[in-house]
Amino acid sequence: MAGRPPRDSDPRNPRLRLRALLDEGGYQEVSAYDASGMLAAIGTVDGVKVVAFACDPTVQGGAMGADGCDVVVRAYDRAVAEDCPVIGIYHSGGARLQEGVGSLHAVGRVFRAMIGASGRVPQISVVLGAAAGGAAYGPALTDVVVLAPEGRIFVTGPDVVRSVTGERVDMARLGGPEPHGRRSGVVHVVADSEAEALARARHLALLLGAQGEVDPEAVQDRPLGGLLPDSPRRAYDVHPLVDAVLDAPGLELHPRWAPNMVTTLGRLGGRTVGVVANNPLRLGGCLDSLSAEKAARFVRTCDAFGVPLVVLVDVPGYLPGVGQEWEGVVRRGAKLLHAFGECVVPRITLVTRKSYGGAYIAMNARSLGATRVFAWPTAQVAVMGAVAAVRILHRRKLSEVPEELREQVELELAAEHEIVAGGLPKARELGVVDEVIEPDATRSALARAIAGAPRRRGAHGNIPL
Amino acid sequence: MSTEIQAEMVANVWKVVAHEGDALTEGDTLVILESMKMEIPVLAESTGVVAELKVAEGDVVQEGDVLAVIG
Repeated sequence: MAGRPPRDSDPRNPRLRLRALLDEGGYQEVSAYDASGMLAAIGTVDGVKVVAFACDPTVQGGAMGADGCDVVVRAYDRAVAEDCPVIGIYHSGGARLQEGVGSLHAVGRVFRAMIGASGRVPQISVVLGAAAGGAAYGPALTDVVVLAPEGRIFVTGPDVVRSVTGERVDMARLGGPEPHGRRSGVVHVVADSEAEALARARHLALLLGAQGEVDPEAVQDRPLGGLLPDSPRRAYDVHPLVDAVLDAPGLELHPRWAPNMVTTLGRLGGRTVGVVANNPLRLGGCLDSLSAEKAARFVRTCDAFGVPLVVLVDVPGYLPGVGQEWEGVVRRGAKLLHAFGECVVPRITLVTRKSYGGAYIAMNARSLGATRVFAWPTAQVAVMGAVAAVRILHRRKLSEVPEELREQVELELAAEHEIVAGGLPKARELGVVDEVIEPDATRSALARAIAGAPRRRGAHGNIPL
Repeated sequence: MSTEIQAEMVANVWKVVAHEGDALTEGDTLVILESMKMEIPVLAESTGVVAELKVAEGDVVQEGDVLAVIG
C-alpha cells in the first residue's frame, strides 16, 4: 500500500510541519515516510516530550486509509506508554474512498484510540487545512482544538451540502474560524497564521505536560482592587483581572464563544492553573446554557490532567427567559454542577463582587466541595440582591406605601434585610466563605491555598461535552 | 464593510453614548444597556464611523435587535 513518499517541496509536507512543531534536537520519526497519508514523530517542545502526527495532504488530499490510521493508533499507544501529550496536525479530506468500508473501520479505530487515551494524556489538535468527515471528528474528540486561518472543519463540504439540500455556502462560512470560533464552540483557539497555530499547540503542550509546582514564596502580590469599577452596578471586562491573577497573561480557550464565561490556562506561582471567571461585560456575566457547558468541559479537562482551578465569581444569576429554557439551561447548567461536584483537583473560589442564587452554587460553592472560598471585603453573597428580595418578602407592605415614599422604604427594608439575611458575616458564620481577603493580597492567598491542598487528579475521561 | 452591533440580551437602553457620524475605535462604548440590574456597556467591535444608531434612551431591546451600524 505504501509506495511513493510525500512531495518534499510542498509546504504542506507533513515532515516540514512536524519539524516546525517540535524542537530541532531529538526529532525522530516513528513511522515510514511513505504514501500512507500520515507521518508520526516523537520529540520535544521546549524540552518536554511529546508525540505528534501529521496528515499528508500531498497524497490523495490527506485522505485517511488503513495504513495512515495505523500510524495514528501507534502514535497514541506510544503517547500513553510514555505518558506524554499527543499533538495531531490535521489537513485531510476524510476517509479514503478507494478503500471503502475498510477506511471507515480504520478511522473508527483512531477514534477508539483517542477515547481510550482521553483524560490520561493531553490531546491537542491543530487544524491547518480542511478537516472533513472523519478528520473533523478526530480533533473534536481531543481536549483542545487550534485552528489556523486556512483551517476548515465540517462533516460534509459545500458541494455535498448543495447537492443534498440545495443550500449554498462556502467553506469558510461552513467551517472556518468565524463559525467555529464564535458560534459552534468546536474550536478552542483561533490563530492568525499557521506558525502561530503551531506555537499555540506548543504552549498548550507545555502548560498541560509540564505543570510545575506552586512556589507561594515566589508570588508577588499586585493591586487588583482597582480593576473593578467604582459603581457596583457597572459591568466591566474581567480579562485584565484574569491576566493580573496569573503570573503572565494566559492562553484563553473559547474566547469568542459563550464570552460571558472566561476559561483560561496559565501559571500562578509557576504552576499551571485553570481560571474560570464570569465576565460581566457580556450578558452581565450571567450564567446561561452555553457558558455553563463551556465551563463544565474546561473544569473536567483541568480535573483530568490534575490542573488546579481558580474560580473568579461575579455573577448576577442565571439568564432568565424562554430562549434559555428551550436551549436546555437546566440540562446544560447541570453539567457545570456535576463537573465541579466530582472535581478532585484543588479548586479555589474567590467572590470578587457578587454571587447570587443558583449561579452561586454553580460557581464552585463550598457546598459543591470547593477547597477554599475567599471573598473580597465588599462582596455580596445572597439568594438575590437585597432590594429584589424585599420586593418579594414585603410585597404587601410595600403596596400600601405611597408611591413617592416607596423607594425610600425599599432601601430601608433592604438594609434591614442585609443585616438579617446575610452578606459576608452570615456567609462566614455558616462557613460557606472561609476568609475575607484584600484584593491586593489575592495572588498570595490563592497560591497558598493551592500549595496547601493535596495534589490529586480526577479518574475520568474528557468527553467533549 | 459595515457591521451591525446587536443586543446580546433583553435590556433597556439606559444611555446612548455615541452619536451618528462619530469615529470609533474598537472598544469604544456605543450605548449602555440596563439588564439584570446592571449597567452593561456595548462596545464597538471594530474601528469605523457610526453609520446608524437605531435606539434611543428608554427603548426596550430584544436579543438580536440591531443597536447600531458601524461603517
